[in-house]
Amino acid sequence: MAAGRMPTNFPDVARPLGGPDSRMPTGARATLVVGLIYLFLVGVSSLEAGIKIMGADTQERLFSAVSNPIAGLCVGILGTVLVQSSSASTSVIVGLVASGALGVDQAVPMIMGANIGTTVTNTLVSLGHVRQSAEFRRAFAAATVHDFFNVLAVLILLPVELIFRPISGIAKWVSELLVGSGGTEWKSPVKKWVKEPVGWLKDLWDQLGASGNVKGALMVGTGLIIILLALALVTKNMRALVADRIERSLNAILGKAGGLVALVVGMLVTIAVQSSSITTSILIPLSAAGVLTLRNAYPVTLGANVGTTVTALLAALAASSPDALTVALTHTTFNVAGILLLYVLPFAREVPVSAATLMADLAVRRRVLAVCYVVVLFIVAPLLGVAILR
Amino acid sequence: MVLSFFRGGDRGLDHVVTRSVAMVTDARHSFDLACTALMSGADPASIADDVRETDLRINANEQRLRGELAVHITVHGPNDIGEVIGLILLLKKIERVGDHAKNILDLAESGVSFAAEPDIDELLEERRVVSGFFTEASEILAEHDGAPVSFRERVDSMVSQIQSRIDGYMTSEQPGHQVVPRAVYHRYLKRIVANLNSAVLAATEPVRVADNSD
Repeated sequence: MAAGRMPTNFPDVARPLGGPDSRMPTGARATLVVGLIYLFLVGVSSLEAGIKIMGADTQERLFSAVSNPIAGLCVGILGTVLVQSSSASTSVIVGLVASGALGVDQAVPMIMGANIGTTVTNTLVSLGHVRQSAEFRRAFAAATVHDFFNVLAVLILLPVELIFRPISGIAKWVSELLVGSGGTEWKSPVKKWVKEPVGWLKDLWDQLGASGNVKGALMVGTGLIIILLALALVTKNMRALVADRIERSLNAILGKAGGLVALVVGMLVTIAVQSSSITTSILIPLSAAGVLTLRNAYPVTLGANVGTTVTALLAALAASSPDALTVALTHTTFNVAGILLLYVLPFAREVPVSAATLMADLAVRRRVLAVCYVVVLFIVAPLLGVAILR
Repeated sequence: MVLSFFRGGDRGLDHVVTRSVAMVTDARHSFDLACTALMSGADPASIADDVRETDLRINANEQRLRGELAVHITVHGPNDIGEVIGLILLLKKIERVGDHAKNILDLAESGVSFAAEPDIDELLEERRVVSGFFTEASEILAEHDGAPVSFRERVDSMVSQIQSRIDGYMTSEQPGHQVVPRAVYHRYLKRIVANLNSAVLAATEPVRVADNSD
C-alpha cells in the first residue's frame, strides 16, 4: 500500500463495474475514449448521410414544424430533455444542418432550447433532497439558478437574434474565417477519416434490401444510436479519467467566491467529461450539504454552459457544410453572450440568484410546486409550444 | 486555482490524510504549550493567543476537510466510503484533542500551576509520554501499513494509569485545591490520549471488518 493511504475494508467486488474507480489502466481508457470520439463522429456523419439520402420532400415534411422559431426552441427543449444531454441534441442539430435539412436560422432557436433542456438533469437530481427542507432549499436553488439563467438568456437573446442576428452573425463570421463561406463544401480532414465506416453502414443497409427513405431513416437511426451510445461512454470514461482532477478543481473553489475561477473550472470539467449535466449535477449534493454556496455554484454552471458547446464543435468537424460549424459556434457565442449579459453586469448577476432563491423558498413550502415547475418548464410548455406553433 | 485541474498529484483522500497529519501536529503544539503554561510557571497570557489560534486553525481545517470529503464522495461515488467514514471520525477526534488542549490552557488561566508542586517531575514525565503519542499517531497516519498493536497497547495502558490517578483523587483526603485541579487536568489528559487512540483506530479500521474467512 502506498504511503499515506489508508486501507479500505471493502473488497473490490463491491465496486460498481465500470465505475469511476474500476481498474482499467489509464492509457487503455484514454485510447478507448479516442476510439469512442471517433465513433461519435461516425454517428454524426451517418446522421448527415441518412438525411441526405431522404428526398427533399421528406426533409421538408420532417422539419417544417420547426420553421417557427418558438416551436424550434420548444423542440430543442424537448429533444434535450428526452436524451438528457445537450451535447447529444446539439450534435444531432449540427448533423441536420450539415445535411441541409435544417437552415442556420431554424437551428439557432433549437440550440437555445437545448440549453434550457439540459438543466432538467440537475433539477431532477435536486428533487432527491425533497425530504429535508434545508437541504432541499439549497439543492433546488442551486439547480434552478441554472434554469433561470438559461431561460433569461433565451428571453433576452432570442428576440434580439431574430431581429438583428448578432449571435449567428458573429458565429458565421468566425466560421468563414475558419473554413470559408456557407454555400460551399469544406474539406474537413475528419470527414475523410469517417467516410469509410459510414460507407460500410450504407452497404449494410443496401445488402439488407433497404433503399430510399427507408435506408435514409435507418442511417439516421443508426447515427442517433451511435451518437448517444458513444457520448454516454465518452462521458463515463472521461469522468473516470479525470475524477481526481475534478475533485482537486472543486476543492479549489470550495468556500471561495472567485467567480471567474469557478467559471473556468466549470468549463474545463465539462469539456473534460463532455457533459454539462455531469458538472451541474455534481454541484447539487454539495450545495445540499452546504459545502458549496449558491453564489459559488452559479458560475460553475455558467462555465458548464460554455464547456458543453465543445461537443457540437467536435461534431461539426465531421460535417461537410460550413453552416454546421456556424451553428456549433452559435451555441458557444450564445452562451458567452449570456454570461456577458447576465453575469458580468453585477446587477444582472443577482437576478437568476434571487429568482432561484425565491423559487426554492416556494418549493420548500409547497413541494408539489417543485414537481409542477419541472413538468411545466420541461414538458408541458414545450409540448404546447410545438402543438400550437408548428 | 484553475491550474489545479491540469496538474497531477495526490488523490483527494491522500490530500486529506496529509492535512490530518498536519492537524495532529497542530494539536500537539497546542497540548505542549498548554502544559507549559500549567507546569513551567510561564504566564498563561503569553501562550494563550498561540493556543487559541492553533485551535481555530484545527477547527477550520476540520471544516474544510469535511467539505473536501463531501466533494470526494460526490465525484467518486461510494467506492471509498470506508475510508471516508474513517477520515470523518479521524478529523472529529483530532478536533476534540485540540479542544482538550485548550481546556488545559483554561485551567492554567484560572490560576492553576503545578510548577512548584512536589509531583512536578511525575507530571512532566507523563506529559512527555503523551506528547510522544502525538508523534507516533502522526507517523501511523502518514505511513501506516498494518495494525499498530503496540501503540494501542501502550495507549490503553496510559489511559488505565490516568484513570487510576483520577480514582485516587476522588477518594483523596488531601485538600480540594490540590486534588481538584489534578483530577480535572487528568480528566482532560485521559480524553486526549483516548481521542488519539480513537483517531488511529478510525484511520486503520474505519468500519468493523466483516471477513467471510473468519
